[in-house]
Amino acid sequence: MKRLLALIAALAVMALVLTGCGEGEKAENVLKMGTMSPLTGPYAADGNDIRQGTEIAIEVIREQGGIEGFDDIELFPQDTACDPKQAVAAANKLINEKVTGVVGAYCSSSTIPASETLAEENIIMLTPASTSPKVTERGLTNIFRTCGRDDHQAPAAVKFMKDVAGVKSIFIVDDKTTYSQGLAEGVAAAAKAAGIEVLDHDHVNQGDKDYSAVLTKVKAANPDLFYISLQNSATGALMVIQAKRMGVDAVLMGQDAVYHPKIVEIAKASAEGLFCTFGAIDKDADAYKTFFTKYKAKTGNEPGAYSAYAFDSAMAYLKAVQAAGSADPVKVRAELLKLEFVGASKTVSYNEQGDSGSNYTVYQVKDGKFVPYWNSLSGEKY
Amino acid sequence: MEFFIQQLINCITLGGVYALIALGYTMVYGIIQLINFAHGEFFAAGGYMGVILISYLAAQGLHPYICLGLALVLSMGYCALMAMAVERLAYKPLRQASRLAALLSALGVSIFLQNGLMLTQGVYDKPYPTEITAGGFEWGLVSVSYMQIFIVVLTIVLLIALNLLVFKTRIGKAMRATSQDKVMAALVGINSNRVIATTFAIGAALAAAAGIMVGLYYGSVNYTMGFVPGIKAFAAAVLGGIGNITGALIGGLIIGMVEIFAAGYISGEYKDVFAFIILIAVLYFRPTGIMGENVDDTRV
Repeated sequence: MKRLLALIAALAVMALVLTGCGEGEKAENVLKMGTMSPLTGPYAADGNDIRQGTEIAIEVIREQGGIEGFDDIELFPQDTACDPKQAVAAANKLINEKVTGVVGAYCSSSTIPASETLAEENIIMLTPASTSPKVTERGLTNIFRTCGRDDHQAPAAVKFMKDVAGVKSIFIVDDKTTYSQGLAEGVAAAAKAAGIEVLDHDHVNQGDKDYSAVLTKVKAANPDLFYISLQNSATGALMVIQAKRMGVDAVLMGQDAVYHPKIVEIAKASAEGLFCTFGAIDKDADAYKTFFTKYKAKTGNEPGAYSAYAFDSAMAYLKAVQAAGSADPVKVRAELLKLEFVGASKTVSYNEQGDSGSNYTVYQVKDGKFVPYWNSLSGEKY
Repeated sequence: MEFFIQQLINCITLGGVYALIALGYTMVYGIIQLINFAHGEFFAAGGYMGVILISYLAAQGLHPYICLGLALVLSMGYCALMAMAVERLAYKPLRQASRLAALLSALGVSIFLQNGLMLTQGVYDKPYPTEITAGGFEWGLVSVSYMQIFIVVLTIVLLIALNLLVFKTRIGKAMRATSQDKVMAALVGINSNRVIATTFAIGAALAAAAGIMVGLYYGSVNYTMGFVPGIKAFAAAVLGGIGNITGALIGGLIIGMVEIFAAGYISGEYKDVFAFIILIAVLYFRPTGIMGENVDDTRV
């Protein structure tokens, strides 16, 4: 009896395997894409913005009738948790799923190792948010960047400090990630070169909530401007609230990771007057408005800081696949380099290195909203 | 001098929060020798419940201070019930099992609760209505906010209440008896299961109060907020002598002080290093912690 049962079980398993194979053979020709971003952990908010931006792009392409030669587009969202080890694991998982294009990651410290893993299989990776210069400077042919670069962001921020805000001394704080520290060092170097005195460059730990000790230092140093280089907007909000409560009266300035509608929601009145550098997104342009309506309808939220860049990264990939007529990485890369289109975030066109240029603008929080204040390219106020 | 005084005020506030969380660790350890890793999650859940209740009650048109008071009491009650449920489901069945099993169960509960918070409350930080306690005093470089005073006063009030409970009431006597010898306590008619459940409830209620204070003080809560303060509070409990209530307060204040002064006088990036160096040093020279009693072999 036992033998009979075992035999039946074995047959059942084999039948499953066989039908499984059968299905695999007649499977539709699906274009497989992945996203890599922190879906859990402290940066989950930005990570979900990236995933949702990508989903909207796929929806838009589907509505336009899909891509010729493919029956459907499938998305595999992966969680990197802003952790290099998990990012590499996520990249391997996407390789196993036979994904051909990836949007991500968020933290530069995840994007760098993950792109090397993906490069082994020649999978195209388009980062919507990693601004560290190193990302595109390693000779990889599979990496593209839709956002700007920190070696453009730092000079833009310093130019603003010197020419527009007219500050003579600054105090810098970062939270020690590849991105936030790299940028803070860039700002420190550029500020020294521009003749601005850097009173101190201090660090806080990720996961801290209490910044009272470092803020007491800031208050004692009494800088003209306090530069906040943190990895996300929620910690930025904590810093801004506490700075105002301690009575720090320096001008507050953050960067692209601190820039997010959430900072205003959390810090409320304390965020008023805060400056941030971020790519110039024309929110009155038609491309952005269409994206905004779709995003809000589907997610119920307004787009986050990097949603539009994720949307454009996915659109760029899908358009390139459409033009190439296949997901072959060599052909897709060639098409990506030729590509030029007006996206929700900016006019997207990549150079040989994979960069798409920076257009940093200084925004200021006014009446609970980020308002464009000064354009680093034209050097003029809005 | 002003710089020093300001940093001292910062330490007392931070230390107070750590102490309140550390109390929960220490009480649970004192009674069943379990390091309740899920304790930080009660702190986070209390913070979330606080903001939900404050917004709900404010929408009913109540005075902000009444909202705050009610939210504080209700969240403490909610977390107390949650802790009792967790104790009943995850720890009680393992009471006779090895301590490692209970420890793993505690880790599991922590992961479960943290992800539960993420799935029900979302990944975004939830803003707190900080207007309620805005404002403060200022003398030159030194500034003290009402919120800092509120945190210190509430910590002191809760500590006095806890001391009275443990040393002056019947249930307190039962708790002390159970922590000394569970079998003997049961023989003289103490319902040890009820005592243990009460201990969990009290610890979680204190953590919930800390959660609300942290939310109000820092302006937002999120689902990962329990982890880092949980570890620090655990360190504070060990430093003060795990199982000892006064020790938790002293440990909390020391960890807060070392962190703030390391960040203030050396650099923010070294503050955790110094906090844990102090912990290691104390444990090296005084393995039972500052206020820890000598424990006989049967309890270790």
